[in-house]
Amino acid sequence: MLDITKLLEEIKQHPYKDLSIRTPHTGIIEFSNIQEGDNVIDATGEFREIPGTKIAVITRENNPRFIHACQKGMIQKLHREYDSRFVESGVEIGVLRHFLTKEEVINTILQKTLHLFYAPERAKYYFIPDINTKVKVYGCRSVTVTNGMELFIVSRMKREVPLSYTGPNGIIYQVYFDHNQNIDVNQPLIGVCSPDQVETIEDVISRVNHEWKEQN
Amino acid sequence: MEKQHKVLIANRGEIAVRIIQACCKLGLKFVAVYTQEDIHSGHVKLAKELGDENSLYRISSYHDANEILSVADIAEATAIHPGYGFFAEDFRFARRVTERTRPLVFLGPSWRVIRELGDKINTKRIARSLNVPTVPGSDKPIYDESEAEKIARTLFDFQIQQGVKKPLVLVKASAGGGGMGIEEIHDIDLFRSIYRRIRNYAMRQFKDDGVLIEQRITNFNHLEVQIIADRSGKNPVHFGTRNCSIQSTGLQKRIEIAPGFAPETIRYTFDANKVMEDIIEHSLTLARKVNYDSVGTWEWIVTKEGNPFLMEVNTRIQVENGVSAAISRIKGKTGVDLIAEQIRTGLGEPLGYTQKDITFDGIGIEYRIIAEDTEHNFTPWVGDIETFSYKKAPWLSMHTHLPKVSKENPYTIPTEFDPNLALGIVWGTNLENAKQRGKEFLNSLVIAGSNSQGESLKSNIPFLLANTERILKF
Repeated sequence: MLDITKLLEEIKQHPYKDLSIRTPHTGIIEFSNIQEGDNVIDATGEFREIPGTKIAVITRENNPRFIHACQKGMIQKLHREYDSRFVESGVEIGVLRHFLTKEEVINTILQKTLHLFYAPERAKYYFIPDINTKVKVYGCRSVTVTNGMELFIVSRMKREVPLSYTGPNGIIYQVYFDHNQNIDVNQPLIGVCSPDQVETIEDVISRVNHEWKEQN
Repeated sequence: MEKQHKVLIANRGEIAVRIIQACCKLGLKFVAVYTQEDIHSGHVKLAKELGDENSLYRISSYHDANEILSVADIAEATAIHPGYGFFAEDFRFARRVTERTRPLVFLGPSWRVIRELGDKINTKRIARSLNVPTVPGSDKPIYDESEAEKIARTLFDFQIQQGVKKPLVLVKASAGGGGMGIEEIHDIDLFRSIYRRIRNYAMRQFKDDGVLIEQRITNFNHLEVQIIADRSGKNPVHFGTRNCSIQSTGLQKRIEIAPGFAPETIRYTFDANKVMEDIIEHSLTLARKVNYDSVGTWEWIVTKEGNPFLMEVNTRIQVENGVSAAISRIKGKTGVDLIAEQIRTGLGEPLGYTQKDITFDGIGIEYRIIAEDTEHNFTPWVGDIETFSYKKAPWLSMHTHLPKVSKENPYTIPTEFDPNLALGIVWGTNLENAKQRGKEFLNSLVIAGSNSQGESLKSNIPFLLANTERILKF
């Protein structure tokens, strides 16, 4: 059984992560009116339709694209030396200190609670069509998996091969991959638990919700 | 060339290496691009070695036209070479490159030509209007399951009427290419399940679920005709034929031979010289009809009875261009470089020679060297390459983007791209000589490494060796 108190204490020792803000593509970068030490927010709204704090704008081929804060936090560093200059893709233009939310803490603890099924290789992963439809319509927790069940399509270099789930039978509690996104080897794809574990997991979530104090 | 041009290479890997080399040969400046996954690729290393401070830029994707054009502007490029894949056959990209505020030269056919021949269906229509034989099948992408099944049934019935004992139909992703998204059906009752699989695959990979339904012609050879013309579009010439029949189970080319047949050594049940002459003439007829103005490849299938059918036209330089160059002479000179010819003529120079100036000598074999598990459906093998070596010879040319590797400094194969690692092109005075040299080369080739599970690298060298014996045979 997991010692939730101990785990929470460990997380409290480092309740934040420093995130690099990088250019999504090449272009001429112009910083917005923002300073180091400023607090920023990520996207909000019921559908996350309201963008986060504007950090910079990058323009290529007359197409400006705003770089918004992708997480709530505080600006630690801004590389103003790039202001009004052409930069390559993936260049760090700043650092954001993000304090962990309840959801992120829950996710961290869940990864230690659920049976994780890992990507056997770097590739794109999809659920097989029947499961994909079920996940989309009813959510992942409607899917029961059994050891040896064909569950995924592994796609790399445009070749596709089926992949079977191995592990204990149960329901898919969490999905850790997105459509059309490359997943590195040994990264979790899904988290599975037996139906009778759900209540315990809900208790853990409730405890974190109660005990974790979000900063900012 | 009057103007000092600078070429942006909108591609990666081996073809990017060869375009850089061609630019240097022509005395042209270049600018290369790369993504994070390719940071250790040989094309990046070469660009650093041969270029200046404005010759290499990291971008987020080879598919992002905006980025490529913004790099072209900042680096002051005047032309774009698309290589193969990515934007090579995208007429919208070609049009945008040439019609933007700061226009650039697109080093491929004009966008109108790409639009006309890039569409397999339209190519079929033009070919049929010129009495060029084409593969029977649908003449537009099919999106409706019932319609697709109806066409498949018609093709089955047609083959039975023709006396075909085991009729076969191909279901192909309309937006696919290079052998991707193709399955054959031998039983019409299985049609719907296979159709749905291809449709779903096409949607995932190409964002377009249109499919083509064609008659599957078995026991055929896959031939190509290499064409080049200058910007006038008036004087296309050919650089002979190639035979690309040795493929993986997924219909991916593995060995290409030039010329397409060897009737002086192998006995065919048909007049092989006439077939090669016919497909060359048909290809040139089509090229003249559309004013073709760059390099391109006309792809054919030839049945065991010697009947050719045009499959499609690839409006770009192809991977296997080097094997045609290996057997070609211009005004008696060796060292033909079709990529350099494409750049030179694309920038406006006239071809400078006619068909009479092009001669052919010997046999060329191109081996595609790939890390893959040939015993398990040619599944790409991914991991670290620690050794890559081969015995050099005057009759061998090697094209690769692999950097110098060692146990301490391995090269990790990126999973995001095509799995080709290298192309080994062997030239021989005749078929036997070329085969013997091919085997000598493959026996000297060492490619080794391991993956994250500690498994040894799997390559297709045994497959290439085993198949060298049967090249150009039906």
